[in-house]
Amino acid sequence: MEEVDKILIHALKQVGTEVSEETDSVKQFSSELIVEAVVRCIRVIEPGLGSPLPTSLPPGMSARFRVGMSLAQACQDIGYKGEIGYQTFLYSNEPEIRSLLMFLVEKLPRESAEASDQPTGKSVVLQRAIAAAIKAQLVVPWLPPNCRLPLHGETQSPGSLHSFHAQPLSLPHCTKGPGKNQLKEVQDYQRDILPPVTAQPSHHASVVASILEQHTAELSAAQEWDNEWNSQGLLSRLTPQEYCSRKLTRLRKRIEEQLRSAALPSAESAFGGPRSTSDLSDLLQAFRGSTPSDHILTKGTHFTHTQKFTFTQQQQAAAVTRPSITAGPQSESDIQLCQQEEQLSLQQQFQQLCSDVEQLAADMKHMSVTNAQVLDELKQRDLGNSENEEKMQVKKKTIDLLPDADNNLLKLQVLVEASAKRVVNLASQWEKHRAPLIDEHRRLKEICSNQDLESSRKLSEIKSLHDKIRVSTEEAKKKEEIYKQLVTELENLPQDASRSAYTQRILEIVSNIKKQKEEITKILSDTKELQKEINSLTGKLDRTFAVTDELVFKDAKKDESVRKSYKYLAALHENCNQLIQTIEDTGTILREIRDLEEQIETENGSKTVANLERILEDYKAIRQENSALAAKVREG
Amino acid sequence: MVVLLNRLPVSECLKLCHRVVDGLCGREPPHRGDHGASWSLEEWLELLDSLTALFRRAVGSNSSDEEVLAGLADVDSSHAESVLSVLRARREEIRDALLDRTNSISSATLQDFDWQLKLALSSDKISSLHTPLLSLSLDVRENRALRSVTMEMNREELNTLISSLEAANKVVLQLK
Repeated sequence: MEEVDKILIHALKQVGTEVSEETDSVKQFSSELIVEAVVRCIRVIEPGLGSPLPTSLPPGMSARFRVGMSLAQACQDIGYKGEIGYQTFLYSNEPEIRSLLMFLVEKLPRESAEASDQPTGKSVVLQRAIAAAIKAQLVVPWLPPNCRLPLHGETQSPGSLHSFHAQPLSLPHCTKGPGKNQLKEVQDYQRDILPPVTAQPSHHASVVASILEQHTAELSAAQEWDNEWNSQGLLSRLTPQEYCSRKLTRLRKRIEEQLRSAALPSAESAFGGPRSTSDLSDLLQAFRGSTPSDHILTKGTHFTHTQKFTFTQQQQAAAVTRPSITAGPQSESDIQLCQQEEQLSLQQQFQQLCSDVEQLAADMKHMSVTNAQVLDELKQRDLGNSENEEKMQVKKKTIDLLPDADNNLLKLQVLVEASAKRVVNLASQWEKHRAPLIDEHRRLKEICSNQDLESSRKLSEIKSLHDKIRVSTEEAKKKEEIYKQLVTELENLPQDASRSAYTQRILEIVSNIKKQKEEITKILSDTKELQKEINSLTGKLDRTFAVTDELVFKDAKKDESVRKSYKYLAALHENCNQLIQTIEDTGTILREIRDLEEQIETENGSKTVANLERILEDYKAIRQENSALAAKVREG
Repeated sequence: MVVLLNRLPVSECLKLCHRVVDGLCGREPPHRGDHGASWSLEEWLELLDSLTALFRRAVGSNSSDEEVLAGLADVDSSHAESVLSVLRARREEIRDALLDRTNSISSATLQDFDWQLKLALSSDKISSLHTPLLSLSLDVRENRALRSVTMEMNREELNTLISSLEAANKVVLQLK
């Protein structure tokens, strides 16, 4: 019972009852304490019911009686099924109070238990923290700026907010490792001139932002590379550097294609105009930064070359024509006229020249095309020519050999045979060489395919390992998070250390109960066996008695002495029956005695005598109060 | 107009060149006041422009040391040497900055962004609103001028924005 009382007292203390340290069982509870505990519990369970009830007993006896009645009523309203009345509180007995308090404590709402059962996660904890912070800020009243204490500055003054602006930082990277030895100038720069990171941004406020930004950028780049390498890079069976360079060339080719396809149509549509080239050069210039154009087009396209060429030609032509015309001084009007004429003629000339140039350009193009065609034709003709020459030589030789036909035929046959032999010989030699070579080839091929298989197997192994690593790191992270969270939760939990003790105690009690149950079943089976034995014995007895009775009765008719013995037998039987009856009666009486003793004990436990005395005293007090009141009425 | 460098001692010249490169890489450019009254305003601007152009050209066309020195023919040899050392030390950084410039070839590029989460407690019509609002400000560089675009979104609008940005990212990934 002590454990139960401890739990009860702990719960009552949490509700707000002031239980002194010395009281550690319900037996020591005074009436005042009981009333206070019950009222506080009712207030927590149902505030509407509990709020009109006082937490302490009033001095007057009749008032106490009334408080007791209302408390009993409230307990019944909540749902207490046991016997309850004013006497429960005023003249307490231990078991009743204990059962009442247990009922009330069980009815108490369990916020903390529900809260800890909620699904947990890092985000949940964070959200709870955010919600708590916002709630706290909402509770704080708004103050005019002049009345603000430094305490409020964080949440209420907008001055402390900086916008988040990042600036590029320059950091000497130590991650590259010692293998890549840097230039001496770079080291000098980093040692002597590069300012520390905190001094690099122009505003002090953007230091944090810049560092965060830099870090995020590097981290995400590393992650992306890791992802790509694991998904595609490993499969390509290249070293990381090779993979990178290959990707770079692929991308370059793509960009080049895109640019070319975008630039070509405009260039073709405005053939000869300076617009397209300037566009292209602009584009190129923008790609190289704003360097002056002279430095860029070191390697011009075919198109720009032709354009340059035509323009320079034109300029040269103009330079040639100018001095020849501006000769011969004349009078001013003449000069003017002359000049106008000259201008006109020059313009005409210029236009003519322009058209000439265009025509010439067109002609040139045409010519170049025809030239190419003619060259092709020439080549073909040359080829045909040489073929024909060869044919002619063969025919010439045959004509030379014709006169001595038979001889030459024989010679030829000999030659043919010899060459056939040679061919056979060579073929056999070739076969000899070929066989080992082919074997070698096959062997190598096999090795190659084996290696291929091996490498692909290893690749898949590596991949699965990577996956495993990822999965396990994720798991580890998750578990670590859960661990941290649980630790924080544990710290946040109220420190009632008796929790584990309770559970241990409960387990002990359960095991005790088990043991007791076992013993009870043992005893039960024992009694059953005994009963069986008794039954069989009584049956045996009855039967033997009947048989003896019959035998003796038969003989008793003939013999006098036997009749006597029959009488004795009957008497013996009767006496034995009586004896058994008496033993059974004694057993029942003993049981009754035990029951009565128990009853006496319980009656003693409920302090009946003391309570009766108290009731008598209270009765006297009420009578005194009544008589005093009656006297007052009479006086009044 | 790099000749104007000759008016400065060599150590100062080194520092100035580093500051010029800093400006090129998006950090704080040098101030005229820090280097005394060696130049008039016009000369100062000219010097800055020519130095910046020099660095850009040298890194952009990947020219060798001899080519750079040829471009610095009219400067003292010691000054030219210091400029060259600055170039060697900062080549990677300048290259990165130029690449960055090339990447932002389109007419408007996103330079930076910032966000704030606000909780609207009430409005002029509803006394208890409790709606979270996100105010997002984008710093957009448009024709070299920085313009700030600010917008405020509720939860659904933010989700729409994020999903459209994710779709854009997918397209970019396909290009790779």
